[in-house]
Amino acid sequence: MANEKRTDQLIEQKEVGMQRADDTLSRAKNGDQMAFADLMREHQAMVFSLAQYFLRDRATAEDLAQEVFIHLYQNLSSIESPAHLKYWLRKVTGHRCIDHARKHKMRTVSIDEAPEPVASFEFGDSLMTATLRRIVATLPEKPRLVVTLRYQEDLDPTEIAEILDMPLNTVKSHLRRSLAILREKVTRCLGEVEV
Amino acid sequence: MSRFDDELRLALRREEPSADFADRVMARIAELPVTPKQEKSRERSNWWQRLAAVFQPPQMKWALAGTLAVVLMIAGFGAYRYREQQRMLAEIAEGEKAKEQVMLAMRIASGKLNVAQKKVQKTSER
Repeated sequence: MANEKRTDQLIEQKEVGMQRADDTLSRAKNGDQMAFADLMREHQAMVFSLAQYFLRDRATAEDLAQEVFIHLYQNLSSIESPAHLKYWLRKVTGHRCIDHARKHKMRTVSIDEAPEPVASFEFGDSLMTATLRRIVATLPEKPRLVVTLRYQEDLDPTEIAEILDMPLNTVKSHLRRSLAILREKVTRCLGEVEV
Repeated sequence: MSRFDDELRLALRREEPSADFADRVMARIAELPVTPKQEKSRERSNWWQRLAAVFQPPQMKWALAGTLAVVLMIAGFGAYRYREQQRMLAEIAEGEKAKEQVMLAMRIASGKLNVAQKKVQKTSER
């Protein structure tokens, strides 16, 4: 009984949230800048983190995230729903990351060349977290983006394939190979750690 | 889900950009010229969004109150017209009845006069 009530409350909360998101989007589309700022605050962590794990640089990631949101502002009329907005942001961020890498010819470094985890090691991060971030950063561009979308955004391979315009089998193979590399390198870096 | 998956999720968790990120983007947006496409799209969406806004909760109250008032006015006017029409029909029916009564009275009077005239004629012939 209590569980049913709790489920009903959760469904109600979700519906209210969706209604609010719809309302914010429609106000932003109508030119309400406050509503657009609200949309941006809601999604900035997603866009920024995708860029940061791909570009490996906080300042460049912020610049790229800014460009994504300005592009969104200019194309807001084409966004149909809050779900479409999320999909659009992930897609545009992913493609911009790949474009940025092409333009700047980002070099994929080997694990031995990869910088020490000091820069990305923040208070509260475990050694495992810092090491994983460092190793993810050494993956080639597309596999890195696939792994980030899989584990940061919790997307399944079908969704990733759609976002990156990539065949499903390619996504699955990137994931399989990347995970094998990550496991091997983590074991090598941290020694006898259970992974 | 393996422990390794969980570790990856933790390592690649979302992080917030700097605190003034949104303000900086909004400042850049404020400097952007409004493109004709955006202007057109806003104009296009304005009329139906205003219409849709009427049916949103706070405005809906007023729209319903307005509709109810109009319905009550129409119903009141209809009832008044119906009563007026009934009164006129009753007056016409009463008039017709009175007319019939007058005609009947005149027919009776005319019959009586005819009888009286015939009697007068007979008397004068004798």
